[in-house]
Amino acid sequence: MSEQPVVAASDSEQPVVMMDYFMHLEYREVVCPIVRRYADALMDGKILGQISPTSGLVYVPPRSYCPVSCEWLGEDHLVELEDHGVVTNFTIVTPVQYYGQEETEPFAKASVLLDGPGGMLGLQDILDLPVDELRVGMRVEAVWLPPEERTKDEIGNRSWGSVDGAIRGWRPTGEPDVPAEQFLDKVY
Amino acid sequence: MADIPITTHVIEFPYTRTLGPVIGPFLTGLRDGQILGIRSVDGRVLVPPTEWDPETGMPLDPAGLVPVGPGGVVETWAWVTRPTAKHPLAHPFAFALVRLDGADTALMHAVDAGSIESMATGMRVTAKFRDERHGHITDVVFVPEERA
Repeated sequence: MSEQPVVAASDSEQPVVMMDYFMHLEYREVVCPIVRRYADALMDGKILGQISPTSGLVYVPPRSYCPVSCEWLGEDHLVELEDHGVVTNFTIVTPVQYYGQEETEPFAKASVLLDGPGGMLGLQDILDLPVDELRVGMRVEAVWLPPEERTKDEIGNRSWGSVDGAIRGWRPTGEPDVPAEQFLDKVY
Repeated sequence: MADIPITTHVIEFPYTRTLGPVIGPFLTGLRDGQILGIRSVDGRVLVPPTEWDPETGMPLDPAGLVPVGPGGVVETWAWVTRPTAKHPLAHPFAFALVRLDGADTALMHAVDAGSIESMATGMRVTAKFRDERHGHITDVVFVPEERA
């Protein structure tokens, strides 16, 4: 943590009554092998997860352990996930123009439960849809960035970055909604 | 794309704080090239000044702010061999407790001594104000008195 002024506290004629503190935290970490493998696959347009044989839970990105069944997960538990799924929950954010906020219009962040083996991606952008038309149960598909625009720079060991460097967001497929009863146990 | 398996994340929080009747004048003083202490209930001069008496908890009167320094004595120190981007100086320096002339307590601050051999407990240092000041604790740095 550091505390540094971002602007002059006041001009030279006035008493100093306010102080700008600029807190800047920088995390550097060595990315573990299973996450590197996940990141490389993402660059190739594939979403890798790890499935726990005991709990049946799917982790994306893979994390090498299942906290529910208390067991290690390894290469054998890697599974390629689908790039389409269903919106199980969402938040509409009305942006306040705080430091670093680049959005100006209300936008949605959604949880997307992937089809097939499963896997839950949180805080996903929903594209090509007015925010007031978003609903739980809506079927969506990934909008991948072109391969040359994909980056794994943000992918770390704690799921930060997730699919952001490769998938721009998710757009509605137009298929019929999935009844909420089918994913009630997976609403995060 | 170099395959160095290190990732970097940055989190930033900008805060703005009010300074109050004592720290405000203290930082105003720094901006104007002066260091202020405050008289405590028992008559000692505290530097940096505090809003509250450390012994009794009683509020201290801003009228008791008094100029101290600019010279002082190093009470103890630690050498910073490899400064980070967050340190007040970009080259090696000492963090020291400096008891300024006229003060009864020591201020922790940076001493730009050039080398560790130039540092000693008991040495005299003096305040050197930066040309461009913003009302911040880094408006000043200390240097050995003979180099001032």
